[in-house]
Amino acid sequence: MLLVPCPHCGPRNSADMSYQGEASSRPDPSSATPAQWRDYLYMEHNPAGWLKENWYCSSGCRRFFSVERHTVTSEFREPPLPGSKTAEPGAGTDRQGGGS
Amino acid sequence: MAEPEFRSSVTTLAATPAGAPALTDESPLTKVSVRARVGASPLGVDFTRAARRDGVLICGIRPDEWLLLGGEGEVEALLAAAEFDASVNRIDITHSRLCLRLTGVRSASALEKVCSLDFGDMMFPDGATGSASVAKVSSDLVRDDIAGEPSYLLLADRSFGQYLYDAIHDATTEFADSL
Repeated sequence: MLLVPCPHCGPRNSADMSYQGEASSRPDPSSATPAQWRDYLYMEHNPAGWLKENWYCSSGCRRFFSVERHTVTSEFREPPLPGSKTAEPGAGTDRQGGGS
Repeated sequence: MAEPEFRSSVTTLAATPAGAPALTDESPLTKVSVRARVGASPLGVDFTRAARRDGVLICGIRPDEWLLLGGEGEVEALLAAAEFDASVNRIDITHSRLCLRLTGVRSASALEKVCSLDFGDMMFPDGATGSASVAKVSSDLVRDDIAGEPSYLLLADRSFGQYLYDAIHDATTEFADSL
């Protein structure tokens, strides 16, 4: 079991979360080449070390957040504070936009 | 058009064994979801906290969402008196949500059998709220003690009603006096 540090809910069982993959910067749509889009959409770096990831707190606060995890030890670094600008685009936003 | 008659999704209630936490269905409560910007506090209640005002329990269940629980007319009266700006919206979710209440001195122990949250008094005191998986169902939990006795409200999608009722009732039977 992974204990994922949600910035809103605190440490939570990863079963209450949804893994959203590596956090990477989205290339500029007006200038990106097909190869850059392919890399952004499909390629994972998968390092043996610290990796910035996106998670979705699906059973808790229902918000996206970014956190750094060591892929060998599964140790987490402290997540960014709620509302900080360090998260990737899409992080910290509501997926559903309504309902409960 | 007349307001549709409320029908709970919990159709079969079980008897509470002596000494076990009591599980009741409070689904008929009026439930209204209020949403605003993250960081806003349109009702003066923070995320992870709940407070009762004019008979209405105001629960901060998410950073940008509050759940209002109350009797018929009470929630409407509170909302009518509140002054919201244009960014705040409200939705009546009475008919889409299940509401169960678990009351008793061992209710925290029973809940911890089906939920990973820490329901100890230090982590989840009276007036605390949380959201987590309960018996594999995403649920909102509110501690709302009755006359000093621990009591928890559990809210989830109504389609899980009978399943959640049965799962939690099963978790409580361990704490009956006769066992």
